[in-house]
Amino acid sequence: MQHLRSINRKAARVVGATTDPARDVLGLQQPPLVPHIPIGCTLVFHPGWETDAAGGTAGLCQPVEGDIFDCYLGCYWPAQVPDQLNYASDWTSACAAAVKDWQKIDLIFP
Amino acid sequence: MKRARFLLGFVAVVLGVASALLAAGGWSPQTGPAAVGAPADEGIPIANATTTRFCAPCHKADEKGRMTRISYRRTTPEGWQQTVKRMVRLNGLKMDPADAREVVRYLSDHLGLAPEEAKEGAFEVERRTPSYLEYAYTASKDTEKTCTGCHSMGRVILQRRTKGEWELLIALHRGMYPLVDGQAFRDPPGPRPVSASADGRPPDTRQPMEKAVAHLSAAFPLVTPEWSAWVAAMAPPQLQGRWALAGYQVGKGAVFGHVAIAAKGTPDSGEFTTESTYTYARTGETVTRSGRAILYTGYQWRGSSGTPPPGAAGWATRGGDEWREVLAVDRDWRHASGRWFTGSYTEIGIDVRLERVGADPLVLGVEPARLDAGGSARELRIYGANLPTRVAPADVTLGPGITVDRVVSATPDQLVVTVSAARAATAGRRPVRLTAATGEASVAVYTSIDYVKVSPPAAMAYLGGGGSQFPKGFQQFEAVAYANGADGKPNTKDDIDLGWVDAAWALEEYTTTYNDNDREFVGTIDQAGFFTPNVDGPNPKRRVDNSPRGTNNWGDVWAVATVQPDGQARATPLKARAFLLVTIPTYMVWDQPEVGR
Repeated sequence: MQHLRSINRKAARVVGATTDPARDVLGLQQPPLVPHIPIGCTLVFHPGWETDAAGGTAGLCQPVEGDIFDCYLGCYWPAQVPDQLNYASDWTSACAAAVKDWQKIDLIFP
Repeated sequence: MKRARFLLGFVAVVLGVASALLAAGGWSPQTGPAAVGAPADEGIPIANATTTRFCAPCHKADEKGRMTRISYRRTTPEGWQQTVKRMVRLNGLKMDPADAREVVRYLSDHLGLAPEEAKEGAFEVERRTPSYLEYAYTASKDTEKTCTGCHSMGRVILQRRTKGEWELLIALHRGMYPLVDGQAFRDPPGPRPVSASADGRPPDTRQPMEKAVAHLSAAFPLVTPEWSAWVAAMAPPQLQGRWALAGYQVGKGAVFGHVAIAAKGTPDSGEFTTESTYTYARTGETVTRSGRAILYTGYQWRGSSGTPPPGAAGWATRGGDEWREVLAVDRDWRHASGRWFTGSYTEIGIDVRLERVGADPLVLGVEPARLDAGGSARELRIYGANLPTRVAPADVTLGPGITVDRVVSATPDQLVVTVSAARAATAGRRPVRLTAATGEASVAVYTSIDYVKVSPPAAMAYLGGGGSQFPKGFQQFEAVAYANGADGKPNTKDDIDLGWVDAAWALEEYTTTYNDNDREFVGTIDQAGFFTPNVDGPNPKRRVDNSPRGTNNWGDVWAVATVQPDGQARATPLKARAFLLVTIPTYMVWDQPEVGR
């Protein structure tokens, strides 16, 4: 970066943002300090399994079955969705795509 | 690829946790929390052969009989049951149900909670499931945030541990669920606070989980005066005898009846059988059930009832008519209170109060619970136990302005009188007094119903029953009438709660997303205020932009009650509404019904 000079205003803002210590920018290529987080809708709307950030359902995954196996693989909702590490290592074996065969999914009693 | 990256992350975290533990002194089940700094004089010895037999292979005992991990924690029967189940499911423990019952019983009795300690988290064991949404843990917001990202705070406040044990609990979570580091246990990557806090002290740079451990080990330590006092006071409870029951079930109203409790086996066994009969005062429906219960820690009643009784031939443990019972018995062995409940999400329940029936007459409650000042004379049913069968109108007193005209009938369980309230009778709640009787009952006197509210004001139902294994979670509402009180203004402290009122029910759209038409998909509400959710699974008829298979039948709606009060000339009826969220199933059930079976 030190050999490059910004030649328009947008580029200047990018340089400013990356050099201003008060505004920390983390790029995707920088080493992540947390384990992998499944990039599903539930990541964005965190407050509870049953609701989105606004307390409603509009921000949940449409439909939930489209995302449920990602929640499972990432152990993202360990109290609401079975997790592959501990209680249900073969939860997905009953069906390959939850959105298609959701009726085959097991209810888990840990 | 995603999974490979995830596994790498998991391995890294496990290694990180392991190295942190090694650095802290090398913990293992064999060395236990002493290695992470628990004072040597803490810990409760385990003196039960079955517990030792099953647990000792991993949890070594020291010279005082204190076993690693186990001796440094106290919790509810449900907490111990969950732990035993985890050992069986994840750690290869093999044991019979009878042995598991003995272990849970021993641990709950000897490493349990004192009544005062269990009180705040009662909602958790009483399975008031949506309550945790309303419960706010105010003592430490950091701790609440760290824990409630996944589960109810009730699970946490019903535990007592040494500091080392709280640290190990955090380590267990990080090992089992590696993602918690990025979710709630650690702050997101980025700059740490550098400026001093408002009080001039250095910035608090601890991670949320470190703040939580510091708080929990101070607020919920293993050794407490409450527990020491309870251990000294605890005795095999003698609950056998006749008890009166008063309760309330949302949507169905007041419940009155009695429970005959008999000791099972020896009088000191702490196990009981029950025969319960109760009547819904509003409808007259009478229910008779047989049950059994275990009393843990000298006061924690965990039971179940059914017809036929639990365990008998033909009795189904799930999907049958089992009602579970969670009660806390007072120190005097004369009162108990809690919740009886059923439903896949334990969403249907009666708030129950039991009182031992002695020699005195006992009043439990009245129906109807309100009297219209200036209205025509009406029957008032007084429910109780041991009520006198020879009663004169003068024996019943409801205060100035209310006349008891005559006694219609009198049995030991129910006294029926006719009363009339004068137009000038002062509005307000007033006690119903029966000469020589104990107990409390009250009736609200009013001149007009001024507004109504829907109870509960916000609620949740779960989609289910669409050919999957996931059951429906229902929701019952009721309309409650209010009078404005002396100041004539609604929603002030002097308003008079007039109790349940009949209403017409409907669902209305709660607009969060344009044209999502939730009302059409979420389910139906009947004229008793009982909401039945729609089936789970994607609905092909409900399309949104990015879901070719359709989306779920979820949504947010208003449950609207329309009330036309009797005898009141009103151009427009009274209306009230409650928020209802109809949402996706929970795919795991963390529940311990075994403790009451």
